[in-house]
Amino acid sequence: MRNWLHLLLILPALIYAEEFSFDISSYEKKKYEWGGYLEGIVEYNHLNDESALYNLNFAGNKNPDSIKRALATAELEALYRFASSSLNFRGHATVSDDYFGREYQTDIYELFYTAAPSDQVNLEVGKRVIKWGKGYAWNPVGFIERPKDPNDPDLSREGFIIAGADFIHSFDGSLKTISFTPIVLPVSDDINEDYSSQNDINIAGKLYLLYRDTDIDFLFLNDASRSARIGVDFSRNITANFELHGEFAYIDKQAIANIDAQDQLSIDQKSIAQSLFGIRYLTESDITWIVEYYHNGAGQSKTQLQRFYTLAKSDPIASPTLYELANKAKLAGYAAPNAGQDYLYLRASKKDAFDIVYLATGITSIVNINDHSFSLAPELVYTGFTNTESRLRFILLQGDKNTEFGEKQNTFKIEFRFRYYI
Amino acid sequence: MNKLLALVLILFSANVFAIDGNALLVDIDRRLQPESYEMYRKLINIEPNGDKKEFVLYTVKKGKENVVALFLDPPSEKGRSSLRQGENMWLYIPNVGKPIRITSLQSVVGGVFNNSDLLRLDYSTEYNAEKVSEEKDQLLLDLKAKSRNVSYDRLKMWVDQKTQVPVKIEAYAASGMLIKTLHYSKLKDFGNGIIRPAMLETDSPLHKGYKSVMLFDGIKPRKFNDEVFTLNYMPRVGELRK
Repeated sequence: MRNWLHLLLILPALIYAEEFSFDISSYEKKKYEWGGYLEGIVEYNHLNDESALYNLNFAGNKNPDSIKRALATAELEALYRFASSSLNFRGHATVSDDYFGREYQTDIYELFYTAAPSDQVNLEVGKRVIKWGKGYAWNPVGFIERPKDPNDPDLSREGFIIAGADFIHSFDGSLKTISFTPIVLPVSDDINEDYSSQNDINIAGKLYLLYRDTDIDFLFLNDASRSARIGVDFSRNITANFELHGEFAYIDKQAIANIDAQDQLSIDQKSIAQSLFGIRYLTESDITWIVEYYHNGAGQSKTQLQRFYTLAKSDPIASPTLYELANKAKLAGYAAPNAGQDYLYLRASKKDAFDIVYLATGITSIVNINDHSFSLAPELVYTGFTNTESRLRFILLQGDKNTEFGEKQNTFKIEFRFRYYI
Repeated sequence: MNKLLALVLILFSANVFAIDGNALLVDIDRRLQPESYEMYRKLINIEPNGDKKEFVLYTVKKGKENVVALFLDPPSEKGRSSLRQGENMWLYIPNVGKPIRITSLQSVVGGVFNNSDLLRLDYSTEYNAEKVSEEKDQLLLDLKAKSRNVSYDRLKMWVDQKTQVPVKIEAYAASGMLIKTLHYSKLKDFGNGIIRPAMLETDSPLHKGYKSVMLFDGIKPRKFNDEVFTLNYMPRVGELRK
């Protein structure tokens, strides 16, 4: 009887032995690896021809009602291993075609050599992306990285040329991990010239602690090409499905543009604070909420933005001086994403939506708390076909006159993105 | 007096079962894998129409609460790693470039397996055996989570008496709802004295018609430094492979 039971027990295994196979030899460590993705994006942008940014971007053109845009991207990465070190590469090439013409761009996002003499020490030199902070949409403590797009925070970005190290030590007890990450970032006429126009040696660092199940980072950047800044961030699971995070940065002598009542543009130096508090919450119905509040101490007040939008609506023929001033203010950051002071980010997403595995739905909103304008972006993402990701997204921009999202170039945008991973 | 004696006997016998059950659970854990090890897994999600999606993970574990798993395949997931230190879990995505905290109930791969299934600690670390009973040639262990943060409040584990490895596990929420059923099969000798099932299948009333299968291979005892199980190390987990 027992033998029969055993046979019954292993019967499924015998059946599946034919169906499934697993050869681990092809997954063992190799001398080199490569990968990446190919991506195509098509967009339809419905324009708001009464908006300030439309007037700045299209003056003298044919005043289109809409813009169609196509973008093709290839991002390739490769790694070559030596004994206990490796050479790493990530390149990014795009070609875009829209109302303004066709553009090509090729960049090396990362090219660095890394050596790990032990599990406790790692050294890196070369072009490298460094990302600091716990926020999803914004990172006030991201002292040595290129700006993140809060509408697409996960997009890959280009690094800077650095030399850095990681020193890690683990403990038993309340303090489980401590690590220190010093970074040296030189700026000269030929190296990292887009980090700052001021040539200097920049030194940054991050001290990380895992203390009583809380991630804590203390961060700094010295006073060199950019002004000195210090910061702290944290992240902790309050319960298994509720995470709390925050960031705070203090920046000494931050350059901030100002348009005075006489329509004069000046750059002032101010000490400012930037902060972010957020939560990540998984509901019983499997919806993940991300909610973040962001205070941008370097941002423009509601009044300042209103002055900019008024200038940006100037007639380039009748008031060329004011129009030129608006263009200068645009370059000084008035038209940058989230140029205001206080924002709320809300995102709800659900995997396996409508009981379809690999279909994810989401809706994201960014609200300018000061002027009550907002963006709203529902999306569908499907990853069911092997090595592909398809995303359909609609972005609606809403706001009164002289508000941030009300004065954007677009009224809405429909975007389809297809990625093939290689 | 007789009632008091009966009560003492019941309490005593219940206690004996609990002690035996927990000792048995530790023994089952050691038969499934060493306390510190490396292994490769293939995860296959099967849709109702038969379509399959496969993932390959390299996993290392140390002690009672440290596990890290690295995705090696498919290319869309390659380089992602998930780290668990006790009740803390993080996900590292190369494009995102920094670890973010995740919860045990989420699934980074979709399908029936969630994060705690992929980063499973020893059963004896997370559960107490409240009762052991005999069903034909199997033992049935009733397991209760040691804390509210464990993904499943209760497990019913059927263990083959001869091989002393699980055959079937039912996972229940605190409400008593059945969340998923796991079926271990395909007993295999992995060397180093490890003889255990090489396949785990799961289905769930919450994902009707869907099934997930996990294949195990390359399970080897291995010692690691504690620093391997830290956020800073997550981008380097792949270098641990031989």
